[in-house]
Amino acid sequence: MECSLKAGVADELVAGYTARTLDSQTETDFARHLGGCESCRELLARQQAVWSALDAWRPQELSPDFDQRLFQRIAEQEQTVWWRRLFQPRWAWAPALPVAAACAVLVAAFVLKDAWQTEAPSHSQPKARIEQQVVHALDDMDMLSQIGVDAVVERPGSPEKL
Amino acid sequence: MNPDGLDSPAAQPSWNRRVNTDKTAERPLDRDAELMLRVREGDQTSFRLLLERHRGPVIHFVYRMVQNQAVAEELAQEVFLRVYRFRDNYEPTAKFTTWLFRIATHLALNWIRDKRHEKLQDSLDQETADGVTRQVPDRSRTVEQELVYRAKLREVRQAIESLPAKQRAAVMMHKYEELEYSQIANVLSCSESAVKSLLFRAYESLRGRLAHMA
Repeated sequence: MECSLKAGVADELVAGYTARTLDSQTETDFARHLGGCESCRELLARQQAVWSALDAWRPQELSPDFDQRLFQRIAEQEQTVWWRRLFQPRWAWAPALPVAAACAVLVAAFVLKDAWQTEAPSHSQPKARIEQQVVHALDDMDMLSQIGVDAVVERPGSPEKL
Repeated sequence: MNPDGLDSPAAQPSWNRRVNTDKTAERPLDRDAELMLRVREGDQTSFRLLLERHRGPVIHFVYRMVQNQAVAEELAQEVFLRVYRFRDNYEPTAKFTTWLFRIATHLALNWIRDKRHEKLQDSLDQETADGVTRQVPDRSRTVEQELVYRAKLREVRQAIESLPAKQRAAVMMHKYEELEYSQIANVLSCSESAVKSLLFRAYESLRGRLAHMA
């Protein structure tokens, strides 16, 4: 006879019935169902065989020094040097390090730029000063000619002066 | 008439009336979570108590996953190291065992993934012999019974090893650690229905390989 249970439900009930994890009402209902369903009885028998086989795989004995080794490792972990702690996630500012580095680069760039600007005129200073002196000399000559004083070029051997 | 006599609504089987089997949301803070909160506050004694309670289950679970005792102990140490290291981040939103087995499963699955192609796993013969000798001795067995037992154990281990890693983890948690579907789902980060699907496929495979051992 065909099983009346939906697909998947039989699997769940058989697994739960074998593991004894069904609530009492469901267990009673399924036990009644088993009475009239050969396919579920067969499935249950096979599942119980698996369960029994898995029971044969019993726990291993643990190493007697398991705890000792663990606490030693915990102690080593706790002695982590301070600079490694800085990079642990609990330090909220750790992600800001790249931003700080970028800021440092920008500040350095500004400082270097200023230094270059203050040093740059010192190289062109003599040329600028000569140009300024020429301009001043021409201005002076214009001014003297306007007030009627002619510049006399000093000639060698001539007693006259300006 | 339904042969089960289940035609009327009142007589519907209880599995048809179940709506939600997840009871974790209503559960009060468990003892382990309380201990873990004390560990978070710096109480070493509570950590020792947690270790005492869960050391065995964690090692046995990892051992059945990786089938190598030395590796299992090493991974179990890493599990408890992580529990201690992440104590400040612990929040009792789920059962402590769920959190614990999530760490253990993660480490075991990673190990299996990394070693799958390396064939580094101990030979089953060697490890079986080691496993049997390290098991609590059963002095009531005769030599013949011991040989039968070893053969049976070998077959069980091979059947488990043949399962895909996630199915294996689901079976180990369901069979040996008796976790609920909701907890297994939480550990494996999937839905309850996905867990049931994993489990039932795994049990189907195991029935094919082990049902004759009845």
